[in-house]
Amino acid sequence: MEYDLFLGCVIPARLPFLEASARKVFDKMGIQLNDVDGFSCCPDPTGIEQIDQDTWLALGARNLSLSNNGNGGIISLCSGCVETLKGVNYHINKDEKVKEKTNKILKKAGTQYDGLTSVKHFGQVLYENLELIKKHLVNPLDGFKVAVHYGCHYLRPSEIIGWDDPFEPFTIDSIIQALGAETIEYEMKLECCGNPVDKSDKELSLLMIGNKLESIINSGANCVALVCPACYQQFDFNQRELNKLNETDYDIPIFYLSELVALAFGIDPNELGFKYHRAKPTALLQEFNFLK
Amino acid sequence: MSLINFEFRNEILQYNASLSYCYQCSTCSSGCPVALITEGKYNPRKIIELALLGFEEELIEEQNPNVWLCSTCQKCLELCPQKVELTEIFSVIKNRCFERGKLPEAFVLQAQTIVNEGIAIPFSKSILSRREKMNLPEIKTAEMKELEPIFKETGIENKIKVGEK
Repeated sequence: MEYDLFLGCVIPARLPFLEASARKVFDKMGIQLNDVDGFSCCPDPTGIEQIDQDTWLALGARNLSLSNNGNGGIISLCSGCVETLKGVNYHINKDEKVKEKTNKILKKAGTQYDGLTSVKHFGQVLYENLELIKKHLVNPLDGFKVAVHYGCHYLRPSEIIGWDDPFEPFTIDSIIQALGAETIEYEMKLECCGNPVDKSDKELSLLMIGNKLESIINSGANCVALVCPACYQQFDFNQRELNKLNETDYDIPIFYLSELVALAFGIDPNELGFKYHRAKPTALLQEFNFLK
Repeated sequence: MSLINFEFRNEILQYNASLSYCYQCSTCSSGCPVALITEGKYNPRKIIELALLGFEEELIEEQNPNVWLCSTCQKCLELCPQKVELTEIFSVIKNRCFERGKLPEAFVLQAQTIVNEGIAIPFSKSILSRREKMNLPEIKTAEMKELEPIFKETGIENKIKVGEK
């Protein structure tokens, strides 16, 4: 099994430790990730799509055209990239005029796109290989009480994403349970983390993540798992800022799904870059004997 | 006094005919996280109403309610009983705002970086050394000469300059 790895911008250029965990996990599972030269920004569905649809379509289609259809197509570690790449596919295949317009732009850049490259979120690939994950389980995540944050673009718009359930999602919970951890329900599970609002109104964005963290902490969870780098930054980078603003004491570890899988696979935590997390998971990892 | 701009309404309808299906039930606003947190000051139903009426001034110049506060969480579109594609319609409105330089600066800055570098976040020296320490491969992103014809053709280059003002 092999896929072309679409890294996007945030993970490789700001959170490379998340990329490291994903590469190690797929390597262990025997799923090959090919590095492809020449990708640009996906581009950001909460940015470029909002200001210039034609540029969004053309850059997205150009990226899709670089994947070799002979293998499994594109795998992405980022929900935003997945929404863009699946969204461009959707619009191009739904409306011949959009396809023509996009290819007219791409022609200037010497390329064309047929609309046929398949796109998967890494969470989807993990879920589709749940039995394989169970086979590689070395250290079950006993004691981990995980609040799963699906984020928005992993699920919606369901007509474009075509995966999981937009309001009763279950795939990430199932993966985490397969790792031996407990998943915890909480009131605001389906709410947006607020990251995209940051570009327009920082205060509002902080209010959204503050409410979400409050709901998670009240649920009794001892960590959060998520699958999108924008959500990751929103959850991990803002806890200290919220504490300063509101005199709270948030300090809950935020894990990328691939990091939890890596821990359960017995990959050395020191290779995973937890030192780059702002809310340090050290105490939790020590408590459950993942670190000395 | 607000004037109905039929041309503006027709322009949105041309991009997304689902606008005309809205019967103003407000299911969108009841599920909207930003409406919740702003106590209805931001209100997706209202934006659709203004678009249906062709109230271009309110939506683009005054931005009241402010379409840029949409978090693009896609709940409204998913919940709508009439299958109005709200976030797609908001994109059309925001694209028009961009043409007139009426948008938060962060969007322009991101677009400038992408037009200049091909990616939204350029690789800093410290990240490159961190990547090396973690044994991560070198990433070869798109060459600008491959992207420039696209930016030229879509005209985003010139629109960014409008945003610079």
